[in-house]
Amino acid sequence: MAPEPPLLTMSGITKSFPGVRALDGVDLHVQAGEVHCLLGQNGAGKSTLIKVLAGAHQPDDGTIVWRGDEVTLRSPIAAMRLGVATIYQELDLVEGLSVAENVYLGHEPTAAGFVVRGRDARASTAALLRRLGHSEIDPARLVGDLSAAQQQIVSMARALSHEVRLIVMDEPSAALDPDEVDNLFRIVGDLTADGVAVVYISHRLEEIRRIGDRVTVLKDGRAVAVGLPAKETPTREVIALMTGRNVEYVFPERAPRDQDGSPLPDPVLVVQGLARDGEFAPLDLELRPGEIVGLAGLVGSGRSEILETIYGARRPTGGQVRVDGRVLRPGSVRAAVRAGLGLAPEERKAQGLLMLESVTRNVSVSSMSRFSYGGWLDRTKEREAARTATRELSLRPDNPSVPVRTLSGGNQQKAVLARWLLRGCRVLLLDEPTRGVDVGARAELYTVIRRLADEGLAVLLVSSEVPEVLGLADRVLVLREGRVVHTAPAHDLDEHRVLDLVLASSTPGPTLTKGPHGPATTEGSPAS
Amino acid sequence: MTQPASPARPVTEKSPPADAPKSPWRSLVTRVDVRTLSLLGVLAALVVIGGVTEPDAFLDTDNLQLVLTQASVIGVVTVGMTFVIISGGIDLSVGAIVALASVWATTVATQEYGFAGILFTAVVVGLGCGLVNGLLIAYGRMVPFIATLAMLASGRGLALEITDGKTQMVTVDSVLKLGERDSYVLGIPPLVMVFAAVTVVGWLLLNRTTFGRRSVAVGGNAEAARLAGIDVRRQRLYLYLLSGLCCGIAAFLLIVLAGSGQNTNGNLYELDAIAAAIIGGTLLSGGRGTITGSVLGVLIFITIQNIFALNNLETAVQQIAKGAIIVAAVLVQRRTATT
Amino acid sequence: MPDFASRRGLLFGAAAVSAGAVLTGCTSNESKDDDSPSDNNQAVADDKPGKKVTIGFAGPQADHGWLNAINDNAKSRAKKYKDVTLEATEGSNDTAAQIGQVETLINKKVDVLVILPADGKALTQVGLKAMKAGIPVVNLDRIFASAQAYRCWIGGDNYGMGLNAGHYIGEKLKGKKNAKVVELAGLDNLELTKQRTKGFDDALKNYSNIEKVARQAAEFTVESGQSKMSQLLQAQKNFDALWNHDDDQGVGALRAIKQAGRDDFLMVGGAGALSAFQEIKQDRGVLKATVLYPPTMAASAIDLARALGQGKGVSGMAEFEIPASLTLYSAVVDKDNVDQYMSTGFK
Repeated sequence: MAPEPPLLTMSGITKSFPGVRALDGVDLHVQAGEVHCLLGQNGAGKSTLIKVLAGAHQPDDGTIVWRGDEVTLRSPIAAMRLGVATIYQELDLVEGLSVAENVYLGHEPTAAGFVVRGRDARASTAALLRRLGHSEIDPARLVGDLSAAQQQIVSMARALSHEVRLIVMDEPSAALDPDEVDNLFRIVGDLTADGVAVVYISHRLEEIRRIGDRVTVLKDGRAVAVGLPAKETPTREVIALMTGRNVEYVFPERAPRDQDGSPLPDPVLVVQGLARDGEFAPLDLELRPGEIVGLAGLVGSGRSEILETIYGARRPTGGQVRVDGRVLRPGSVRAAVRAGLGLAPEERKAQGLLMLESVTRNVSVSSMSRFSYGGWLDRTKEREAARTATRELSLRPDNPSVPVRTLSGGNQQKAVLARWLLRGCRVLLLDEPTRGVDVGARAELYTVIRRLADEGLAVLLVSSEVPEVLGLADRVLVLREGRVVHTAPAHDLDEHRVLDLVLASSTPGPTLTKGPHGPATTEGSPAS
Repeated sequence: MTQPASPARPVTEKSPPADAPKSPWRSLVTRVDVRTLSLLGVLAALVVIGGVTEPDAFLDTDNLQLVLTQASVIGVVTVGMTFVIISGGIDLSVGAIVALASVWATTVATQEYGFAGILFTAVVVGLGCGLVNGLLIAYGRMVPFIATLAMLASGRGLALEITDGKTQMVTVDSVLKLGERDSYVLGIPPLVMVFAAVTVVGWLLLNRTTFGRRSVAVGGNAEAARLAGIDVRRQRLYLYLLSGLCCGIAAFLLIVLAGSGQNTNGNLYELDAIAAAIIGGTLLSGGRGTITGSVLGVLIFITIQNIFALNNLETAVQQIAKGAIIVAAVLVQRRTATT
Repeated sequence: MPDFASRRGLLFGAAAVSAGAVLTGCTSNESKDDDSPSDNNQAVADDKPGKKVTIGFAGPQADHGWLNAINDNAKSRAKKYKDVTLEATEGSNDTAAQIGQVETLINKKVDVLVILPADGKALTQVGLKAMKAGIPVVNLDRIFASAQAYRCWIGGDNYGMGLNAGHYIGEKLKGKKNAKVVELAGLDNLELTKQRTKGFDDALKNYSNIEKVARQAAEFTVESGQSKMSQLLQAQKNFDALWNHDDDQGVGALRAIKQAGRDDFLMVGGAGALSAFQEIKQDRGVLKATVLYPPTMAASAIDLARALGQGKGVSGMAEFEIPASLTLYSAVVDKDNVDQYMSTGFK
């Protein structure tokens, strides 16, 4: 393989969106005929990278060399013309059109330039479907009537209807049953045998072992490993690359509470037997003022679902949540907020912030009654309170009237924290608090979180990054497939031990989650 | 890694705020945003056109009174519509509600109760329709477009049922008087005063109250608003109630203006109100909008109408101009949004 | 107008049937005038019960005072005859819906059809279909595209409305130098509005001292009438006469005139609404006259349909058969003759 020039060389690709640098000098080298796996946590920049490759995003910097020539991919059509096809995770099919019409959408076989020759399209679609081992799909059927797996096949047929040299598959196995996955792998094998390169994105490490040739690992918009041998690299090393530190974070000191022998304060949050069928098993949890409890687990282990259910954003199928001994009305966010809970959600832009609004308004939104008399807002008081809260968290810039969308990821997170600080909440639920936050700003966030705990808040922390959980939390619950498999004080655990517990899934266990992992997997998408 | 630069405790000493007002003029300029200025510019240009083409008829007090009076009915409707659109919704039923409220309030039975009966009925019918809209949308989880479209159809139908297509003349003198010259206070027609009051209250409600904040939050990001502890559904209900209330008030104004109730009242108000709000800079997707902009949008439309009528031009030309202005406004809106 | 009375007499002869003049309606106190027996041997339709006739009636949705009056006139006229059964459809403004309704009536094998189409051109085919099925069609007001689609057409005269309004104003302003006239038209995208305006303009050509200085189109609604009229008043600080096409929008126009405090001109209306008649009778405002577009034509249409169904002619005419076409006269109603028309005014 060495003397032949690589099919694709992307080097130094950089792409920023307002508030976040999604890609920071990423390299990707793909050879013809190989299965090149792209790994990384949510938010690592995988989606942005493949969108750059598909011509959907224009990189701010960096070069793309295709079969020896430098190219600029101005649009998805330009990428398609070169022979790059992309099968996105959220399928981009038109449900109201037939299979054949979808496959040939945009390049319909025509007579006299404009008359669509439906019969030709159906015949060649049937041929493509046969090649994909799914001759049972009728090219004349409406795509909306097909199953998710069949739609995936149609998507693939569409990719193959072009002259294709490289296919990007974004989590293609997420919606498939095991035997359908086998078929998918057979197709991938056929394609590579024909010299087509496949860029394969998946969270499932065992799949990568089965079909992958080489692995590129992304983390925080950087490629932390390029072209590792897929079959030989130990799982733990891959996981460590995905989750591990590439910078030594400084974690704040824990309060020496454990030693001084004074009685522990009563728990403020008590969760008993809380469960959601299909998402997580009954969970018991106690949280005391001043304590940070971490939930460690892979994406799809039920971490976010647990947090959102405690918060009332999802209705539990069993169990209860008590704050100061009082049972919260299940499935009511307002009850939770009134009782003193606050959530910093996983998707900051989609779930946490009012992106069109100023920092002040984002901070004050949950405590408006404090600055209003009969619904009438005292804006001076509001502004002052928001300023105090944001100053306390050293939010930059020190001007709460700027729109929140202009802030960096770390400062946006601080705006969310300031909201709950201002509200005077007692229990803070943090879902991936450092996602999309620059390395430099993380230590500052850690300090803030620890200080809030020291001031008496109880914090429940979810993070994909094991070192973050270990460094920040007092106590750690290890989750696997919706179940707590281990609970221990953080200082009794180390990264390897947690990874072993988390990864025990390599031996097939009961799968609770079916379908795509986690509630949402959009990464680094622009704020538009 | 360096230690965070932030001090561990909140800053207690007073540091000067970064955005302290520099001069009264400057703060005025920054407060009135570019879009409002451009709308004022358009209105000023129209005044120049009107003044040049028909100096006698256009530039006098009577005409100012006329334009403002003509603007007041649709203006009140537009204030309510602006709130609904800001919250990410739409209300297609405003014209039908105005029609229904105006005929219900002018039936023989209602008129027996005099001024108060007419006013009360108009407002209550408006609120009732808004309540139905709100319940269907907030708690019945219907799409606003569909729910209010249904209200449009049934409201118009009911209005026709009540009137049988007949024009219901108002016989209550106090109501009729209100629309006539004798009732003008310091040259200001009462209808215009109501319009002004609704505008001011609407502006305060949007910019100075928790209600306004919540409306914007729901329109900007309903999920974030919900997770921040806002009762999104109740807020939606209130918003359609508000729109219904505005329609009820507008219906009363129309009764005063036309001295009658007719089932054809409020014809295509929904489109005029939406167009005015959009020209005024309200995002159709929600989360942003101003009362000032919407009211300027209404005034621009009515002024165009006035200039065309004074110049004795055809309705067709007028409609073409209206369409062109909508397109121009949306294009400008897109440009300012991207810069 | 000198020949006014005689023309009216002619109209009676053409459209009236036995007892009860068409224009004066069922409660007319003039009916005794027409009681004289006809000297024709042909059997003419009269009030006495004859052969039973089922009349199918398809009208538009009554969302306007005039259209509502059409429906009322047809229904009350049919009720008057013991031998007439009226099959009236739900009124509809939707062409397709109305076609369906007429087809249903054809299938029910009614004896005669009276159709006021939502759109004359669009309903021609279904008119032809009825005629072919042997059901005579009385086409009311909005005319079909083909004369084969109806046995008899009866309707108003839009051009004549404009003409008579113009002549009335012309006579009133006779001798006044540089007289100015303003027109408040109806919905501009309707053919009938164009015809009314043309008639008005043609009449004014006879009076060299009159100039039409402004025209604005309203929408047959009170609201639009108020809005357009107030703008016209602002634009024209002085003029001598106003013709308004429609009494419904005239309610709004009168309101605007009152609000502007103007009384320096005379106003002529159109159609013949009760409120306009009352205003004319009181003679306190600017409205001095209105030009008829009589909704009683629906009552006449029922009479014609009954006569067709019974195979009879109409009284007052020498012919054996009823005419193929009846254009009603757009009479001018002013203070002098308003009492006579009061009962025909619609609300």
